[in-house]
Amino acid sequence: MDAVWPIGLYFVLVVLLIGAMLVGSYVLGQRHDDRATGSPYEGGIVSEGSARVRFSARYYLIAMFFVVFDLEAVFIFSWAVAAKEVGWPGYWEIVIFIGVLVATLAYLWRLGALDWSGEPRRRREGKAMPQKL
Amino acid sequence: MEIVIHIVTVLVVLFVVLNIAAGLIWVERRLLALWQDRYGPNRVGPLGLMQVAADTIKLFFKEDWVPPFADKGVFILAPAIVMLTVLMSFTVLPFAPGMQITDLNIGLLFVLAMSSLGVYSVVLGGWSSDNKYSLLGGLRAAAQMLGYEVFMGLALMGVVLMAGSFSLRAIVDAQSKMWFIVPQFVGFVLFLIAGAAEMRRLPFDIPEAESELVAGFHSEYSGMKFGMFFVGEYVGVVLISALISILFLGGWHGPLLPPIVWFLIKMFAFIAFFILLRAGLPRPRFDQLMSWGWKIMLPLALANLLVTGAIVLAVK
Amino acid sequence: MAWLFYVAGAVAIIATLMMLTRLNAVHALLYLIVSLLAVAIVFFVIGAPFVAALEVIIYAGAIMVLFIFVVMMLNLGRRAIQIESAWLKPGMWVGPVILAAILIAEVAFLVAGPGGPKIGAEVVGPQEVGIQLFGPYLIGVELASFLLLGALVGAYHVGVAKVKEEHGNHSDESRAVAGGDFVRAGTDRPAGSP
Repeated sequence: MDAVWPIGLYFVLVVLLIGAMLVGSYVLGQRHDDRATGSPYEGGIVSEGSARVRFSARYYLIAMFFVVFDLEAVFIFSWAVAAKEVGWPGYWEIVIFIGVLVATLAYLWRLGALDWSGEPRRRREGKAMPQKL
Repeated sequence: MEIVIHIVTVLVVLFVVLNIAAGLIWVERRLLALWQDRYGPNRVGPLGLMQVAADTIKLFFKEDWVPPFADKGVFILAPAIVMLTVLMSFTVLPFAPGMQITDLNIGLLFVLAMSSLGVYSVVLGGWSSDNKYSLLGGLRAAAQMLGYEVFMGLALMGVVLMAGSFSLRAIVDAQSKMWFIVPQFVGFVLFLIAGAAEMRRLPFDIPEAESELVAGFHSEYSGMKFGMFFVGEYVGVVLISALISILFLGGWHGPLLPPIVWFLIKMFAFIAFFILLRAGLPRPRFDQLMSWGWKIMLPLALANLLVTGAIVLAVK
Repeated sequence: MAWLFYVAGAVAIIATLMMLTRLNAVHALLYLIVSLLAVAIVFFVIGAPFVAALEVIIYAGAIMVLFIFVVMMLNLGRRAIQIESAWLKPGMWVGPVILAAILIAEVAFLVAGPGGPKIGAEVVGPQEVGIQLFGPYLIGVELASFLLLGALVGAYHVGVAKVKEEHGNHSDESRAVAGGDFVRAGTDRPAGSP
């Protein structure tokens, strides 16, 4: 492994650059203050209420799936880099691991958790899916 | 002496990357114009080359507006994050033998980590603007980037498996006989798609979809802060193109020409490809995009990995 | 490299303190992310680059994103800030702080003892971690996969219950947008309709 300090130097240079861009833009930019300057632009329509609204739990699901799959991915990362060393025993282990992952994915898919179009899948398929989720 | 070489490398990499990214603004507009049978910017300087300088100067003199209703600190932080995370990834990329800032034994993970931090720029940008369209754009962007990040990493693990290391230099060295695009074609295609999604390029620019969301998460940004999101996107295109060249096309390997020339040829081919994508593809619906990621890309990436592992072990 | 360890450690501690004292949840989370990044640098310096990368990918890049999502989704606003300020009254934190200080003193006493390992004396690369995980610790890895299975299924069912609830009461004073689902707003038209 090489020396690590050049990354530090690079980091400092990038931070300086970003600072220079922000400050330069602040100093050079024009200023004006008209009647509607301080209002949000929402397609030209006068803004109604605050944007601090609540969201659907669907976004929570996306983030949750991401966290769990990212964790699984990390185990797979550590296998991939050592795959040649751990040989066939390690391979069968990762097959089981990925098998469990795929089973989970299939389960979620069947429940319609991977459809982002709004309505859960059971709505479209009628009786095919259990009603009590 | 060695210290001087390191410092020069750092400066050269930063300078060249930023200039390529800025130049891309011109390249993209000219190429799009070519494919759409029109002229593109051709007034400022020879062939319109000075358009980049003109745009930069314009951005600097635009009003640097921080909305009075915004969360000011976070609002300013968001564009800084996008620049920082994309630029930092270049520290571990090997451009040619000896032309690399640092080779980490976790190089590839470093790049993935930086791209996972990049999500914050869009989320925080959208949230701090206190604008409904920005918020929607930011959330969509985050959902999309999260969905595609999982299999972006998994798509690369075939390459890691064959090279036996996360170090990008070791991965390039492992391709001296055969480029990984041949045995890892599935991984290559998956990473290409994930890369476009991660950089929010068309056809994955749904977070910004100007016809639906004004300008998405950067609706309220002006001046150089808007410019930083812009530069960040172009640096991202350079990064993904460079990564594809390194991971799948043998990096600097190639006959006759010097290594760095080969690297640049490969990288620019992919940059042009990403611009062609923008010229040629429509934008899918958001729910379709999310479903593709989870239902097709993720299982494919896992299958690719298992098959690769079996073949590598059987051959050994 | 030792100085880097202490600088990163100090940044982590200060960022965590800032995180605790912020009233705005998103600001607090930003400080927590800084703290996690500093901890990643600490791991890197003491010779565990793989763990450092995972710290950034998983904690800073995934779990914190989830937190920010949840904070943004709930959007508790002013009431949450009032509750936060109530928690910052000395009566709330003096007791735990004294107990934690005793623990820190004990740890410091043990660490200061002779024969501690040197910083960065031994670097454990990613490959060694993989060999250990998929060799001696294989049962742990498989158990982790079952745990994650449970997490996914649980997350889905809890989340779906919430979606249902929102559909039920979007007409009352809850501030949810009609239908309670921002994604649907633009995407639930049948294909082809204007």
